[in-house]
Amino acid sequence: MNSMRIKLAVGACVLLGAITYLALAGARQAHVYHLTVDQFLSDGQYRTQRVRLCGTVDDKHFSASPASLTASFLLKGAGVELPVQYHGVIPALFQAGRDVVVEGQLNPQGVFAADVMMTKCASKYESAADKASAS
Amino acid sequence: MNTLGEMALSFAVLASAVAILASMISARFQSARALCVARWSIAALAVMLCASAAVLFTALLGGDFSFDYVARFTDRALPVGYKLAAFWAGQEGSLLLWAVLLAVLSAIAVFTLNRQQPIAQSAATIATLSVVCAFFALLILFAANPFAVSPEIPDDGNGLNPMLQDWAMIAHPPLLFLGYAGFTIPFALMVGALLAGRQDDRWIDATRWWVLFAWLFLTVGIVLGAKWAYVELGWGGYWAWDPVENASLLPWLTGTAFIHSLMVQQHRGMFRIWNSALLAVTFVLCIFGTYLTRSGIVDSVHSFGESLIGTFFLAFLLVAVAFSVGLIIWRMRRLRSQRKLEGLIGRDGVFLAVNVLLSGMMLVVLIGTVFPVISRLFTGTSTTLGPGFYNKVVAPAGLLLVALMAIGPLLTYGKDAAGRLARGSLIPALAAIVAGVAVWACGYHNAWAVACAAIAAAAITAALVDFARMLIARCREETPLLALVRLIDGNHRRYGGQLVHMGIVLVVIGVTGSSVFSTNQTFQLNPGRSTDFAGFKLTLNSIGQSRGVNYQTTEANVTATDADGRSITLRPQRRVYDKWEEQTNSVVAIGSNWKRDLYLNLAGWDEDGRNVAIQAIVNPLVNWIWAGGWVLTIGALICLIPRIESVFEKTPAPQLAPAVRQQALKAPGPRGRRSRNPGPAVVAR
Repeated sequence: MNSMRIKLAVGACVLLGAITYLALAGARQAHVYHLTVDQFLSDGQYRTQRVRLCGTVDDKHFSASPASLTASFLLKGAGVELPVQYHGVIPALFQAGRDVVVEGQLNPQGVFAADVMMTKCASKYESAADKASAS
Repeated sequence: MNTLGEMALSFAVLASAVAILASMISARFQSARALCVARWSIAALAVMLCASAAVLFTALLGGDFSFDYVARFTDRALPVGYKLAAFWAGQEGSLLLWAVLLAVLSAIAVFTLNRQQPIAQSAATIATLSVVCAFFALLILFAANPFAVSPEIPDDGNGLNPMLQDWAMIAHPPLLFLGYAGFTIPFALMVGALLAGRQDDRWIDATRWWVLFAWLFLTVGIVLGAKWAYVELGWGGYWAWDPVENASLLPWLTGTAFIHSLMVQQHRGMFRIWNSALLAVTFVLCIFGTYLTRSGIVDSVHSFGESLIGTFFLAFLLVAVAFSVGLIIWRMRRLRSQRKLEGLIGRDGVFLAVNVLLSGMMLVVLIGTVFPVISRLFTGTSTTLGPGFYNKVVAPAGLLLVALMAIGPLLTYGKDAAGRLARGSLIPALAAIVAGVAVWACGYHNAWAVACAAIAAAAITAALVDFARMLIARCREETPLLALVRLIDGNHRRYGGQLVHMGIVLVVIGVTGSSVFSTNQTFQLNPGRSTDFAGFKLTLNSIGQSRGVNYQTTEANVTATDADGRSITLRPQRRVYDKWEEQTNSVVAIGSNWKRDLYLNLAGWDEDGRNVAIQAIVNPLVNWIWAGGWVLTIGALICLIPRIESVFEKTPAPQLAPAVRQQALKAPGPRGRRSRNPGPAVVAR
């Protein structure tokens, strides 16, 4: 191996090392667990961090006010429910009975304060077909 | 009609089978006749797929609801343009589009193959192309048939998803797919050369044109996709690190890396294993991108939902990866380069750095994209990596790449490379300092903004100084206009490439400005009231309802007055489409100039119209992104077209004065190289 090759290898390794370091740092900061309501409530470790929850909007205690940008509802899991207070722009497809994904953190009152909401419509483009088959 | 489409598809499958068989026979028996059969089978395949596409287009335009696909994605009231765009609104149609584009490009590629090359090489290329075409044709025919008959013919169709009723959606998918499909051609050329055991670098010349072609369309497709997200999704951004967006970025990163390392192979015969691997990876990533969109393995705003098609894609992906790895390992010995790198500071070193950075970014984006799947496999809990993860890596690596663009024009081969670089960087370095200080002095105390301004200024100055120096040298002999044309025409690759770099720099400036200095606030207003926001006075004049072609719309009328008293009226809307009553679709209003975008989104309102929620965002410099898109398109086109002077060969090239010739010789670039090589095999037959 000549010295040029070694220099090049070292240079490439330094770049790759920097990228790896940044990626690890970024992952530590920006990772968010994806949980169901049941997983979230059954494990205490998640109560103090930001998580992404997936569940169904219950039709009881459902209120959404697009003008004041708030919605409060119960997020249904398999056997449990969690009160959610959402603040932000209400997505177009949001309504009771929908599957939604919310991101946020549990507040001291035991209410999940969310600031990100996605109406989970895994097949947005195919929903016309769902509609057709449902009718 | 349905049968006609299916028949055309079946014939396409047949043609691809014939092409595979004929090319194999041709390779085995060195038969030129079999090669000819294979070639024409590919042409027949392209014609048949075009015919089936024509059937689908006709059905869509004519509103033939006996096609299940037409009934699912269009309705009578849909404007004509969107009826056409409905072709790629669903799974089946977009796969057909992929296949059609691939087949047409393959046909062009096989008829422009270098006739001098060994039969086995051409045969292997054609076989590769026909296998990929066959995969898509079979997939469409058996798993995603757009010609399926409606169970019962409805009076009217379901209509097109409102999100897709946007001009950018008419153009974005075909352009993106043209990029995806385009990367199959260089992959096939590489497979041909490797299977035939070529030891020279002739084949890489032909791949260059195709890679640039695919790169151009992929890039424009990505930019248009960003534009669509910006105006249609209504959250004020153009890039969210969504899995499907990432899917298009992955092959872009490796394709870009290849365009650079290709030059090292052309000039110096090195990086040959690496280049072959990059082509294979880029091709696999294009298929992977399609797989990600189809399979629904990762939640995304764009995904098509889970389906069986994912399994087919996964199998094909595994085969493609195994084949590529096997092929490159098998030919490793022949691919080894004979020469050694000259220096870290020279062009080789910089190209190596560019490759390491781009590949590293690709790996990071890839890991981030599939992380929810990997983490579920290993820990049982799915974990998403948010935008912060990507930004942390991509922002510094991107700026570093722009810094490398700044020293790009200053690089030469040879012993004094470092010295020349040091002397040439004086002016760009001064420009960097001036720009950085200026941005700081204007009150933008943000490290990213200052760094970006400095690096971008250096990159632009370096390119301009280099260009001006060459132009001035020529102007001593020629009129300025002629000098300009001849200079660019004399080295399309160099000046086209520089222009692409300038486009990317503009995009980077726009992205930095809009992500660092964006302000976002949501207001509740009553009609007649005003509020202050980021230097604007926003007044809600009224809110009213009206009727569009196939939708009911609620429109707010907002006057925005800036600090200088200039005012514009913006009308953000929310539409409810007749066929999609359960969802409202936001149509944002953007007041934009070169400094900033004022982006208004009608977020909601009370039933009586007293209380209206308006989300206002000021995004600085967004227009620079779209401008950059145009600039790099022009640059890439310059790289793609052949030299004008070589077309009009009759006019003899004027003798340059000694001073000019010296200048011209100093410039690194493929001038000499080009003349030694026969042109790429792909220029018109």
